[in-house]
Amino acid sequence: MHRLSGYRPGLVDNATGLISREIFVNEDIYAQEQERVFARSWLFVGHESQIPNPGDFFLSRMGEESVILCRDRKGKIHVFLNSCRHRGMKVCRYDDGNTTVFTCPYHGWSFGTDGALAGVPFFREAYHSELDRSKYGLIEVAQLCNYKGTIWANWDASAPSFHEYLGEFHRFLDLILDGWDGREGQAELLGGVQKWIIPCNWKWPAENFSGDTYHNISHRSVDLVGAGPSGQSRRDYGELNVARKLHVTIPDRGHQTITYALPRDYQPQAAYQNSPEVAEYFRHCEEERRRRPGANSRLIGAPGEIFPNVALLPRQPRTLAVWHPVSAHQTEVWRFFFVDRDAPRAVKNFLRDYYIRYSGPAGMTEQDDMENWNYAHAASRGVIARRHPYTYEMGMGYAVENYEFEGLRMPGRVVDLTKAQASEEPMRNLYKRWAEFMEADNWDDLMTWRHVSAQAAQ
Amino acid sequence: MSGPVNIRTLAAGTRVVLASGAEAEIVSNPHDGVWLFARYLPAEGDPAGAGEEEMIFAQDVVEVRG
Amino acid sequence: MTDRLLLGLEIAQFFYAEAEFLDERRYDEWLALLADDIRYWMPMRRNVKFGDTEREFTRETDDIAWFDEGKDTLTRRVRQIQTGIHWAEEPRSRIAHMVSNVQLLSVTPDEREVLAKSRFLIYRNRAETETDILVGKREDTLRRDGDGWSIARRKIVLDQNVLMTKNLTFFF
Repeated sequence: MHRLSGYRPGLVDNATGLISREIFVNEDIYAQEQERVFARSWLFVGHESQIPNPGDFFLSRMGEESVILCRDRKGKIHVFLNSCRHRGMKVCRYDDGNTTVFTCPYHGWSFGTDGALAGVPFFREAYHSELDRSKYGLIEVAQLCNYKGTIWANWDASAPSFHEYLGEFHRFLDLILDGWDGREGQAELLGGVQKWIIPCNWKWPAENFSGDTYHNISHRSVDLVGAGPSGQSRRDYGELNVARKLHVTIPDRGHQTITYALPRDYQPQAAYQNSPEVAEYFRHCEEERRRRPGANSRLIGAPGEIFPNVALLPRQPRTLAVWHPVSAHQTEVWRFFFVDRDAPRAVKNFLRDYYIRYSGPAGMTEQDDMENWNYAHAASRGVIARRHPYTYEMGMGYAVENYEFEGLRMPGRVVDLTKAQASEEPMRNLYKRWAEFMEADNWDDLMTWRHVSAQAAQ
Repeated sequence: MSGPVNIRTLAAGTRVVLASGAEAEIVSNPHDGVWLFARYLPAEGDPAGAGEEEMIFAQDVVEVRG
Repeated sequence: MTDRLLLGLEIAQFFYAEAEFLDERRYDEWLALLADDIRYWMPMRRNVKFGDTEREFTRETDDIAWFDEGKDTLTRRVRQIQTGIHWAEEPRSRIAHMVSNVQLLSVTPDEREVLAKSRFLIYRNRAETETDILVGKREDTLRRDGDGWSIARRKIVLDQNVLMTKNLTFFF
């Protein structure tokens, strides 16, 4: 089998910008990344609005595995592995609901919403009351974080907190989770999570959402016929013409995004002209947002990726997507759609209609992405294809630190795309971090930012 | 001996007879078809066994008293 | 009774003709069958506990769906295919719609509006070996339109939970 030692520079060569196709198609690498990437990373599980009441649960996934997001009888949020401690049967096979117990249909073991093993059939007779039930509660994640309503979990107790893991990238996630008017944590999840299977490795959508501004030609057909909120193109572009278009990458975290920085004195332009009520809502929100202090008032969000498998689309459609690995060659996508909680119903409906025609398997934009990832993956599986790495050389050496635009400072390393249109800095950043995860034996080695600050202290 | 009992929809307050012959009153039903939370009713000759609330397994329920 | 049988037959023939337009890529003729105020809605489906049937489907107008379209966006979807550069349909899929089990659920007294339920089986084959089979139910409100019928509302119920096909670039 392929040499699996030496991810760098063998498979991911940052000096040359070449990355082996093996990392997409090799099944041994896929098996290893379940352990080394997914079992150690912070993963998105759901939103607290999915489980408002005690006993509410939402069946989610972490990597390949089924997990239960639930609020126990006392109101505490948990994430459990959905597998009975006795013989592994799923203790929950409903997508969501409300319950007092998770009961295994195989032998009847039953667990409380706090995960404790409550019922063991024939405990006195067959086990002679000797089984230590306290040892066999549902397996719970090592760490859990409620970040502005979004629930994130990690199987690794030695991982840093979610806040530290996210680092300065939080401001791009905030663009989804805060209200359009800038108030903190105003996002509401629309009912229904789109789930569908795409025949490609999970890293295809991950790298695309990291900030592929080069693939616009993929979406030429929708640009021609128009699906945008004003009935034209794909989106409303007005303010983007005066903004700085940037790639922002956080090198030691592996997160990256496209973002637009507006000029200091920019006045928002009218948008959503098809609907006066929607136009008025966004005009009002934009005004409020600019009045509120904070760096985000001048940022317009765009696709980004939180390492490893969560994609942001902070503008419209305002969504989070999770690329769940199924096999080296298959990915299950879950897409969650957000609106402002306090928005008028007409605004929510308008956005919902737009989200549905833009995103997901029936989305006029997203349809073409799946075709590309499907056949790019398929055409990279052969032995000859695997000999030839992909090039990620675009814009190498053009990223800068301490980027500032009219007093607005950006974190991490930034490539100004205003003229360049595109770079592959975000993908290089993603795969560099991916290779670090594949190589590192423990989280100490992965928290390079702590080493830097420790050195500085000496 | 009657056939198997489907306990899934039994309401709180319903009395059931268990395989041991004891009687219990349902306190709450998690509606999973597998378990009931029930309180034992005083049995002849064993008044001390009454009142305890326990999880009752479906296979232990042999009869519904109503 | 005979009248109702004849009407049922007429509606079934209408569905077959519609399927013919779609399968033969005669999209403009298909669009002409759609009422200007059509609602074309395909909810998503959840696995729910027995008896919790209300929550099995995502809610109309409130929740996310696979499709929730009017004539404008359906027309745009057709135009997108007709650009010839909609890569998800280029080269074109080979599609066959089977429509069966046509039942008239209700008919207005003047017989100008019919609620019809049917089953569909859509076979899609594209590129070399890529194959999808989608099966489910449709509930159509049909309105008499001159000599023929137009589709005023279509609810599509796909018998899947996780969508097992990578995209929905075709019509139900």
